[in-house]
Amino acid sequence: MNARHPGPTSDRYRLEQMDADADLMVLNFGPQHPSTHGVFRIKLILDGEVVVRAIPYAGYLHRGVEKLLERLTFAQGVPIVDKNDYVAPMTNEQALVMAFEKLLKIEVPRRARWMRTIFAELQRIASHMLWLGTFALDMGGALGGGSGVFIYTFRERDYILDLFEMVTGGRFHYNTHTIGGNRHDIPPGWDREVTKVLDLIESRLPEYEAMSSNNAIFVARTKGVGVIDKELALGLGLTGPILRASGVDFDLRRDAPYHAYDELKVNVATATAGDCQARAQVRVAELRDSIRLVRQGLAGLPEGGINGGKPIKMPQQFKTMTGQAYVGIDTPRGELGTFVVAGGGDKGTAPYRCKIRAPSLHALSALPWILPGHTVSDVVVILGSLDPIMGEVDR
Amino acid sequence: MAVIDESGQAYDHPLYTTLINVPGLSVAVASIDQLLTWGAKNALYIFPMATSCCGIEFMATAAARVDIDRIGSIVRATPRQADVMVIAGTITVKMAPKVKRLWDQMPEPKWAIAMGSCAISGDFYRDLYPTVPGIDTILPVDVYVPGCPPDPQALMHGMLRLQEKIAAKQAGTWRAPELRPETEKMHGPAVRRIDDPERDPAITAEQSRQAGLQSPDAPEGELDWRGAEPVPVQAALELEALLRERFGIEDFPADSAPIVPRDRHLELANTLKAMGYSLLIYVVASHWPKPEGDTFEVAYALRSPNAGAKLAQWRVVLQPGETIESLASVFAAADWQEREQYDLLGVHFANHPDLRRIMLPENWQGHPLRRDYAADTACRPWR
Repeated sequence: MNARHPGPTSDRYRLEQMDADADLMVLNFGPQHPSTHGVFRIKLILDGEVVVRAIPYAGYLHRGVEKLLERLTFAQGVPIVDKNDYVAPMTNEQALVMAFEKLLKIEVPRRARWMRTIFAELQRIASHMLWLGTFALDMGGALGGGSGVFIYTFRERDYILDLFEMVTGGRFHYNTHTIGGNRHDIPPGWDREVTKVLDLIESRLPEYEAMSSNNAIFVARTKGVGVIDKELALGLGLTGPILRASGVDFDLRRDAPYHAYDELKVNVATATAGDCQARAQVRVAELRDSIRLVRQGLAGLPEGGINGGKPIKMPQQFKTMTGQAYVGIDTPRGELGTFVVAGGGDKGTAPYRCKIRAPSLHALSALPWILPGHTVSDVVVILGSLDPIMGEVDR
Repeated sequence: MAVIDESGQAYDHPLYTTLINVPGLSVAVASIDQLLTWGAKNALYIFPMATSCCGIEFMATAAARVDIDRIGSIVRATPRQADVMVIAGTITVKMAPKVKRLWDQMPEPKWAIAMGSCAISGDFYRDLYPTVPGIDTILPVDVYVPGCPPDPQALMHGMLRLQEKIAAKQAGTWRAPELRPETEKMHGPAVRRIDDPERDPAITAEQSRQAGLQSPDAPEGELDWRGAEPVPVQAALELEALLRERFGIEDFPADSAPIVPRDRHLELANTLKAMGYSLLIYVVASHWPKPEGDTFEVAYALRSPNAGAKLAQWRVVLQPGETIESLASVFAAADWQEREQYDLLGVHFANHPDLRRIMLPENWQGHPLRRDYAADTACRPWR
């Protein structure tokens, strides 16, 4: 399909075409390898230490979420999707309730939309911090230099989780979005706590930025590794930071604003190299912009109610006729969407079919295209730079 | 236990049980058993069987705030160097054989901690076809840490409880707590705990082979697809003009995407791609059982990665026995998307380069997202 990336099914990678004397080795990477970020398996065909073919196997965490959503009412689905992308549950909930709101034609109050913006951007900081720590862990090893970065980024992430705990009572499964608004209002004094945390994280950002662009080891491990060019990125349906690191200036927050993004200006960070370093730099740049967005969101947070729907007494109260709706939002990993089909009639209280569009699934489908030619140690770095979360890949 | 020598000097250490008095010298003696237990419980190396959300909280436990290193536990990601397996997350029937094998690879003495509701009971996935209803149906669990997910502090507490349990077992003062009888509310499959004396031993050996312990790798290049037949398709919104003029579509429902004829679906995708709709957003099939057979509706969406982020959506309706042309030749992303719909709904995509299951094991029977598939289908011996 593409001269640079011959593609997983091209003849070049047909095993029977490979030289029988090349003494190829099969290495099973995963499903319990700590660097697979969950349970994921890649069958690597190696010539020495160089990958000649990679065959990914997903599904080790397939939990039947879509079947479960068909069995529950609309309102009951929210805590279920928390567990899909468990590094960014806020945006998971938002993608689900926004699709249901579109289907049920429910208006969300302005204050709730602003709160969702603040939550989404705080979640982006927390998610990127976790990614940075584990990415360094992938490169440096648990007992090497990587664990230092891991300890620091988890420290920042815990501050953000504390903020969410103040609002929702949960550390990272929140169940705070409902159809038509939010469940928990912001407690008094929360904005001061947020400002304190943001000041602290912002003062440390130069260290993370310097690491991703200047640190000799970081650069040596990431520069020119795992290049995804623009054409392949678009063809694979990659979205979010991965797409932006491949030179496509596209962000749903700016180009199709939802929440309060039509009132807050989003600066979209892009890079053109498409390699692991570019992906890292885009994510670190997003940290700074997210901090700015949260500050602006807090400053401009409107007063008013936070739920436009009637208070939920019976989950069965939401009924639909037939119809379909799709809403996609930009999460830390890319476009997370929910496609929902309503069956109508007596089945009107539950989705007839509900599909979660997982950005990580698309990201992992890039592996057979970009792994060949790299060494085994680079496989770990490339996989980490794609930031996959198996909960949403497999669902 | 403290021992006191003749001069009244107290030696306080849990290991000292006996004091031998030699002139000018006091020697405290401990049994080898005690020594080994003391060593084991203070250097519990953890093998993290982290599959999902609880794995993130497990990592937070190892990070700075809670710092599990304080009790001598470090994370060893290999079963051969570990003492404790922390099962953090949902275990699925596809993963369960791997967990069992890893557990078997750990050297004795070994312990297991079930972290979080999924590992304990399957949580709300308990009733669903791919989930193991509690890890204690596969391996014996020493400590249960409840929560969804448990706080890092809770896991730390669980580790301390495990230390207590190890010491108490050695000292002979361990008494197993009474298990709460399963209430009627605990429905789900009746798979007995592995340490349940009434569990049928035959279930582990023969049935595990039948249940597909090792899912065979897909055959290279040998794919079973039916011949290419055309499929109906549909587009949306401001694409209306294109669909009206070039594809002759008249019906544009307000609440859903238009239906495109099956034989022009590929042509539409190519046209839209040329118009700049270069991102494949979703491929979703839904199952509509009818008296005459299984009808499927396959919905597609493309997005234009430009200002406005326009979305082009359409649908194709498949009558019983019909297949749909794969978009894998137009969008590389269609490869996995269509495999997923094939796996979960059994829709056949003609001319797909690699149509095989992606989520479920290769030898799985049936397609779970069909409306008539029982959600709680059993898969012995894992659920």
